[in-house]
Amino acid sequence: MSELLDHLLATPLLAIALTLAAYFAGGRLFRLVGAPAWCPPILVAALLLAGVLAVLGIDYADYREGAGWLMLLLGPATVALGLPLYQQMGHIRAMWRPLLVCLPISALMAAFYAVGIAWLLNAPPEILASLAPKSVTAPIAIGITEQLGGSVSLMMGGLLLTGVVAIGFVDLVARWLKIRDPRLIGLALGINGHAIGTVRAFEIGPTAGAFASLGMSLTGILTALLLPLAWQLPGLVG
Amino acid sequence: MAVLRGFLWLLGFLLLGDILATLAGLPVSAGVIGMLLLTAWLMIRGTVSADIAAAAQPLIGVLAMLIMPGVVGVFFILGTLAGQWLAILAALVGGTLLSVFTTLWLMRRLMGKESLDHE
Repeated sequence: MSELLDHLLATPLLAIALTLAAYFAGGRLFRLVGAPAWCPPILVAALLLAGVLAVLGIDYADYREGAGWLMLLLGPATVALGLPLYQQMGHIRAMWRPLLVCLPISALMAAFYAVGIAWLLNAPPEILASLAPKSVTAPIAIGITEQLGGSVSLMMGGLLLTGVVAIGFVDLVARWLKIRDPRLIGLALGINGHAIGTVRAFEIGPTAGAFASLGMSLTGILTALLLPLAWQLPGLVG
Repeated sequence: MAVLRGFLWLLGFLLLGDILATLAGLPVSAGVIGMLLLTAWLMIRGTVSADIAAAAQPLIGVLAMLIMPGVVGVFFILGTLAGQWLAILAALVGGTLLSVFTTLWLMRRLMGKESLDHE
């Protein structure tokens, strides 16, 4: 049995098939339980896949080596995000002034707050580097974490939790500040809650959704451009 | 065939981004530079070719599947994070509350009256 497994793991085919199967089964299970808004469907699929790997006794490193072939597609998929960005150029032009001020501050503060709190609680540098891109959409965040020297797995977990709590907090804070403008709520969901927040924004309405994807893509770009540079600052000063 | 032609376009922009990042020594991933190059290219052209749309839309649709191998990893590192839980949770939950507040407060200030009229 274990020899057969080793034989199958010699090529990436088994890892790719397991990932695809868990993706579709997870999606089906997610709809079966009524598609709760706070739970990203990817979390269900990932739990299923982790369970299957544990039951079959497949080492995560072995799985990851095969599944790396799938993640190779993240490169062209990140480039593809340029298409929705171009399609939202009208929105960007109409609001360029507040966006120009708010986006760099929001994107940097999202990273700064998390890294600051973890640093105050004495977390090691590897954890700080994994938490920094927590508000960035996953394909871009993977590139950032690898550059900063963090753990991609921990970053992914942080990304999921951030997206889920961002949905609740945006609702709470918007009510507290008496903000009802769907453009602002969508933007806050996209900037702080990346893809998970954007999915939630599309449930509120198309305007909120468009502004969420706008916030998500611009936060991703700005963080990818600014964070690696900001990361080198303490090293240069100290 | 449109999908493959579009995919070749995406790969071209990705490789171009990689070349630029390497030559300029930029600490930015090749994908992000490729994305900006694609946006700039579409703005110059003023229209989206059917080939690029045919490849880009399905790829964006399966993004969640492409990041799954990374998400699964979190269940396998839980043991190695012992002792860091408080710092990680406080950073994620507290940091997100603060950053959501910053965004909404800042945008309300910047948009002024306009945001109150738009309901």
